[in-house]
Amino acid sequence: MTHFSWAIDGSIVGLYLLATMIAGVAVRKYVGKVEDFLVAGREMNVYLGIASLAATEFGIVTCMYTAQNGYKYGFAGATPGLLNAAAMFIVGYTGFCIKPLRDSGVVTIPELLEKRFGSFVRWLAGVVIVLGGLLNMGVFLRVGGEFLVVTCGLNPGNLEITMTVLLVGVATYTIMGGMLSVLITDFLQFVVMSIGLIAVTILVLVEVGWDRLVGAVTEKIGPGGFNPIINQDLGWDFILFNLLLNTAVVLTWQTCIARVLAAKDTKTGRQVYTRTSFFFVCRFLIPGIWGIAALATLTPAMLAGLSPAMQENSSLYAMPLFLSTLVPVGLMGLLVAAMLAADMSTDSSYMLTWGGVIYNDIMAPFRKGWSEKKGLLWNRFIVAAIGIFLLFFGLWYKLEGDLWTYLTLTGTIYLASISTLLIACCYWKRANNWGAVAAIVISATIPLGFLVLEKVDGATAKAIGPYASGIAAYLLSGAAMVIGSLLKPRRD
Amino acid sequence: MGEHWFWWLLTAAVVIWYSTVVIYVAFRGLFDIRNMLEHLGRNQRQDQS
Repeated sequence: MTHFSWAIDGSIVGLYLLATMIAGVAVRKYVGKVEDFLVAGREMNVYLGIASLAATEFGIVTCMYTAQNGYKYGFAGATPGLLNAAAMFIVGYTGFCIKPLRDSGVVTIPELLEKRFGSFVRWLAGVVIVLGGLLNMGVFLRVGGEFLVVTCGLNPGNLEITMTVLLVGVATYTIMGGMLSVLITDFLQFVVMSIGLIAVTILVLVEVGWDRLVGAVTEKIGPGGFNPIINQDLGWDFILFNLLLNTAVVLTWQTCIARVLAAKDTKTGRQVYTRTSFFFVCRFLIPGIWGIAALATLTPAMLAGLSPAMQENSSLYAMPLFLSTLVPVGLMGLLVAAMLAADMSTDSSYMLTWGGVIYNDIMAPFRKGWSEKKGLLWNRFIVAAIGIFLLFFGLWYKLEGDLWTYLTLTGTIYLASISTLLIACCYWKRANNWGAVAAIVISATIPLGFLVLEKVDGATAKAIGPYASGIAAYLLSGAAMVIGSLLKPRRD
Repeated sequence: MGEHWFWWLLTAAVVIWYSTVVIYVAFRGLFDIRNMLEHLGRNQRQDQS
């Protein structure tokens, strides 16, 4: 039985949605050029950058997979957050790769790669970035809709309508105001989301209690719930894979790097990274605690209340089910508004930044001599097309295994190669286009092959494991860059 | 706190840090937005003239 009241909680949510739409649409008048649309005219300062990066990188989908990690692996499930925070702080502090990237004045990473590896590599990099990014975000909408259905007690038959309404709202202001609308709404969403996250976490800690959380992890998961190294489902390969993945995310994930590129200067971009880094611990630990609380309190009879389809993957839906029973009227409205805020900021930014790569890099050979007006029109059309793709992909794709594993595998399609290319581009003089193409092909083939294997031969895929295949993608991509570059004859 | 002091301390740090930062960023972020829109408006007027 959910505590969602349409009169009280519905009003809070409605008010929030109205304020967001007005703010998002109001700034469209400042968008006159493609650069305004894609990188907000490079006028973003530190605190707006922190709010925007944090809001973008925390969506309902994030909340769901990190809570699932907490439910299945206990506190050890928050390990990727620690690795992500460490990687972001070090990269921001040292300026590793992001300094030369921002100094170059490009709009996207492939644009920088073209300067070193040529136009074909720029185009190919754009293709794999979009492929990995769109497959990755393809599940966002459905997972977000499912969270709302379970938490608010909506009829599961209304899932598609919920998803469509959510998407149309986000797409409207993103299409109109581009990065500028994204930044303004992200700020509002950061505040609403954070208040909701903090309030619910304090409620969970007070109502469930620390001892009960620790007791549930000890009893149901064992010592591996506190230490990822001795957890049978995690171990060293999980840690190594997440270390490689999170470093690559910090260096090349389109939504993260878009904040560096939209910053008013390189120093600001680096400060956004260093000062946001600890948020990535919060991003895993807060929902992780909600997941552990679900583990501590939910009974098999309560889990049986989930729809039959959701019961097949009950670890994913345990957290929203738990919240639906714990959070009281009033706070429930704040929670739903917070989660909507989280989801809208993520969807808008993902649509915009991946759309930016389609326009800036994949369409680069075809848009020479275009006016700013025509460029803006195409950017808006691309964002709308991504929205339609999200709607249809979300409806038919059936998730196998962990949500986090799916997201990391689809991300690896481009993360392994583009991070390798970026490092080589910035710091290795011998790197060339042979190595770049080889790295891109290897990096895309391994995770895509694993995803196909999961569908056609689940037993073999399970024997290999997602972490081993992910590690292989990173290491072999690096090796391909070195071998390919050394094989190409030098022009003396 | 007990033997799992690391996770206890980390949870406490997360709640305290996040609660503080959200207030500070909410305050300073408003000024960033105002300055950003001022600059963009000025640039737009310069482009038009």
